[in-house]
Amino acid sequence: MIQVNNLRKTFGGSNKRLFSGFNKTKELGSVIALDGLSFTANDGEITGILGPNGAGKTTCLRTLYGLLKADDGNAIIDGINVVENPLAARARLGIFPDKFGLYERLTAYEQIDYFASIHGLQGDFKHQAIEAIIKDLDMEALAHRKTLGFSQGQRMKVTLAQALVHQPKNFVLDEPTRGLDVMSTRVLRNYLACFKEKGHCILFSSHVMQEVAALCDRVIIVANGKLAAEGTPNELCELAGETQLEEAFVKIIGSDEGVAA
Amino acid sequence: MIQFKALLSKELKEAFRDRRAMMMAMTMAVMAPIMIFVMSKVMIKEAVETPAVYVKIMGAEYAPQLIKSLKDENILSLKDAPNDEKSSWEERNLSITIPDSFNQDMLGGKSIDLYLRADFSEKANMSPIRRIKTTINQYAQAIGYKRLLVRGIDVNLLQPIKIIEQDTSLPNSNAMIISMMLGLYLLMAAFMSGLPVAIDASAGERERNVLEMLLCQPVSTVKIVAAKLCCASLIACIGVLLTLSLTSFSVSFIDLTKIGASFNLDAFTITALLLLLFPICFFASALQLFVAFQSKNFKEAQSMVSMIIMLPAMVPVILMFVDNKPKWLDWLPISGQSLIMEDLFKGLPVSWALLAFTGLVTISMTIFLVLLMAKKLRSEKVVLALS
Repeated sequence: MIQVNNLRKTFGGSNKRLFSGFNKTKELGSVIALDGLSFTANDGEITGILGPNGAGKTTCLRTLYGLLKADDGNAIIDGINVVENPLAARARLGIFPDKFGLYERLTAYEQIDYFASIHGLQGDFKHQAIEAIIKDLDMEALAHRKTLGFSQGQRMKVTLAQALVHQPKNFVLDEPTRGLDVMSTRVLRNYLACFKEKGHCILFSSHVMQEVAALCDRVIIVANGKLAAEGTPNELCELAGETQLEEAFVKIIGSDEGVAA
Repeated sequence: MIQFKALLSKELKEAFRDRRAMMMAMTMAVMAPIMIFVMSKVMIKEAVETPAVYVKIMGAEYAPQLIKSLKDENILSLKDAPNDEKSSWEERNLSITIPDSFNQDMLGGKSIDLYLRADFSEKANMSPIRRIKTTINQYAQAIGYKRLLVRGIDVNLLQPIKIIEQDTSLPNSNAMIISMMLGLYLLMAAFMSGLPVAIDASAGERERNVLEMLLCQPVSTVKIVAAKLCCASLIACIGVLLTLSLTSFSVSFIDLTKIGASFNLDAFTITALLLLLFPICFFASALQLFVAFQSKNFKEAQSMVSMIIMLPAMVPVILMFVDNKPKWLDWLPISGQSLIMEDLFKGLPVSWALLAFTGLVTISMTIFLVLLMAKKLRSEKVVLALS
């Protein structure tokens, strides 16, 4: 279970806060990325985060990994505060980040092995886990090649494999389907659905409405660092009075007189 | 422990698969022995031989005896210079002017003014000028002594006090320059060999977005930094070992006894050197990692880290100019080690307590750097290279 309470995060312009005169006024040059965002992603559910570019989705997820420190508010994973106990919280996470790179001098197998070992897997158990994930993501042909020169989709697969190899209780995926071919997207969807059945908590951000509509049990719409609306895809459609999620989404974030305002 | 093992083995795999970085690391090790070999050869040649010096002599015909004694010392007239060397000696423009009254004044027992013109500050002229001066002085002295002897006076009267020089430097000290070079090279090797790996593992990984991924994992930053440090310093240690073994091999080809040096790298010296240098390897790599993590991008890291290489090059040189060394120089990293190395090469007894103490100071400074880096890696500014 992932809980986010009242997260606030501002980038830049922080020095000016020292002067009381500037206090509480909106500082020039600073960007308010998160402005009191709260939501909960439950176990056994797939939660989708929707939002326009620059809405604060990635900042929110980065705060979940403990990579960024929130100015205010907190993130709690399975009852563990991310700031107070980052290692224990991260051990319960499988992460597919926004920016990712590969160790280009390692093979795909070695790379997955590396992350499996970091999560404390060892011995036969580790090798079985790696073999299983490679088979599931249909990567046998890639496994023993060095990752230098992999295509975008192949790189995504390696990153997904390393995020999922230790079968974490919670998945956090930042646009996991960008650059994947149709087959792999379907594999990933099935994979996520399967984990949902097992009671894992899955949180992912996406720009593909059909995918969100098909896959998600609950949708969170973020705009300007705030929660704009949340509910099942159907509830959101009803809320906006539209039949398509895409239309509902545009309506909810689109105007100042939107539903959330 | 599983985590640390995985981190370290990954760093090592990456480092050893990066051929270019490895080659760069090892060039230092190969360069040093060659440089030392060539330098010693040149120095021996200069010390043993007296190459021909060509001087413009005006009025040579007035003092044939003097010219002859100069010739005996291989100091020749510019006219006799072979064509290929003529222009270079003409440029140096050494000249002796003998007055036309030379013979007359000599007979009359008067003092003769002989002019030696040259650029005295030019380093290349120093040895020829020294030789010309000694030869002429000796010639003049010989004539002076003969004059006294003829008058029945003991020449020893001219020298009421005689200084007897007793040089306390051990025979090895004559090879000081060569050993200083070796010391410098070993320090440089400790700093240079691990450098490409250190930059690649820190600023390089951040630029390739893999560091961010790693920092999202449930692993403490101390372990990450320690693994990177171990990898870089291991390669630095290999560089130092290679430099040392290749040098002791190449030095065995040179006959250093010709310049009175018994420069030898025996098992004892090598052990002491390695004990000195291994902590330095760790310290150097930690410093490089620290600076690379602090910089905004790969380019900045490279230029900042290359400034660190100045340290091992400058510190020993600066130490040479400090006559009254304050005590703290003995135990500070780099300066402490280079002072002990100096003693080692001079053949003086090594203070093991001091060696252990500098090592300890160096290691504790390394640990401090590691902890500082681990702390820095927990801050979002360093991780995402925000300004």
